[in-house]
Amino acid sequence: MKANAAPLEAADVSYAYPGVAPTQALQGLNLRVKENEFLAVLGPVGCGKTTLLRIFAGFLRPTTGSVRCAGSGIDGPGRERGYVLQEQSIFPWMTVRENVEFGLLAQGLAEPDRRRVSDELIQLIGLSAFEAAHPKDLSAGMSKMVEVVRVLATDPSILLLDEPFGALDAQTRTRMQDALARLWERRKKTVVFVTHDVEEALYLADRIVVLSERPGRVKAEFAVGLPRPRSLETRFSGALLAMKRQVWDALVS
Amino acid sequence: MTGAVKIRRAVIGLVTVAALYAFASEIGRGRLPDRVWLGAHYVENVQLLPTWRSLAEEGTFLIESGILPSSVAVSTRRVMLGLLLGSVAGILLGLLTGWAAHVESLADPWVTFFRYTPALALLPLYVVWFGYGEASKVLLIATNVAMITLLGAQHGVRGVPRVYLDAASSLGAKRWLRFRKIVLPAAFPSIFASVRIAAGLAWVTIVVAELIDARMPSLGYLLALSGAYPRVPSMLIGIATVGALVLAFDLLALLVHARATRWMGRAG
Repeated sequence: MKANAAPLEAADVSYAYPGVAPTQALQGLNLRVKENEFLAVLGPVGCGKTTLLRIFAGFLRPTTGSVRCAGSGIDGPGRERGYVLQEQSIFPWMTVRENVEFGLLAQGLAEPDRRRVSDELIQLIGLSAFEAAHPKDLSAGMSKMVEVVRVLATDPSILLLDEPFGALDAQTRTRMQDALARLWERRKKTVVFVTHDVEEALYLADRIVVLSERPGRVKAEFAVGLPRPRSLETRFSGALLAMKRQVWDALVS
Repeated sequence: MTGAVKIRRAVIGLVTVAALYAFASEIGRGRLPDRVWLGAHYVENVQLLPTWRSLAEEGTFLIESGILPSSVAVSTRRVMLGLLLGSVAGILLGLLTGWAAHVESLADPWVTFFRYTPALALLPLYVVWFGYGEASKVLLIATNVAMITLLGAQHGVRGVPRVYLDAASSLGAKRWLRFRKIVLPAAFPSIFASVRIAAGLAWVTIVVAELIDARMPSLGYLLALSGAYPRVPSMLIGIATVGALVLAFDLLALLVHARATRWMGRAG
């Protein structure tokens, strides 16, 4: 790793989905993610948020421009960049425990070592009673939390979260946000969190970048100075509501 | 729907048809001719619709003489062997062609070319290649089974949702681990469904295959012979036996399937 290199950096990144009429998803996007920062990427539907995250995750290569992880080029998925997909991706044929331990299995860890890590994480999300259950017996929110800790199990330095709570109802969503905020406060990591929900971005992030409509590029940037740990009070604080207005204006302008 | 309800409905279905048959055969007896043309000859004393009583008598004879049990044993053995060989070959090829994209495009035209080749068309060729013995019968079944399971495995592998493979790569899983832990379990339901269909087809094939070097004991020859007399009760018993064996195989397959896919959320 080069000294002072950002954990993630996108320089003048453009991406076009190939096809008869290529779709330009990103155009000249510049972004530097700081060490241990919780960054929210906010933007309208179809602005290329997911494309950006998939480029960081290593599943797509930018058409032009470059992306770097800790100074070196990204040329494929890697476990230092934990990625939680937008779609439900918990493995339905594995139990909760097997899901959480999958990344450790891929590293070749022995069963007792895997178990130590998974015990702790499953307890952290309050699913100890469900460790031997299959995903069909879990709610959507529980499944998503398993996906998040499955990624945490391998202890990646960077977390890429793609609208992880997008498909949940408002209440579950709030609970999951709280759980994620607690997790992050406990073990600091560099997080890139993609969402289209302004309040979610404000509640969770240190910094918010707003993308423009397609083709996406950074349109505005906000530092969220709200105190931590954040709580229900934060959600209804005047400071958050004032920022919500600003961010909202930037989003729709 | 619970298992008990399903079984009850299946039994009701069977009993109803059996009762209707009894009714039809009792009325039909006496109204149907007992003298029919078969080829260039008149054949006497043919029961076109045998009653339950004569079916029972014929059944007792076939069982007590040992003809039916030994035929079932011999034919079942051939089916099992062919099913096993064909499934192993078909599934392995299907997994390979489904998972390795470059092999897929090499094999695809051949699979399409051969997938609908009827067993009867291959039969003379197999006799020439593998002789009149067991080999050509078992291999004929294996070929048919392999075609179906190949397609099932291929379809299963190609249908593995992208998200699972992406999530696994992101977690650091290499190709072989992804294959074992993601592709195989995700493809299993499709593979298994194809084996189930292939098992039924294997029984269809064996009856045809046993026409080569036809000799007792075998279900195929039993059917052919009862056709030559003609002896309708034997024919019906032969057909019912094959049907019962297919049903038994299918039940066994369903039990294995239910155990192996308990992870799948099944509505009702």
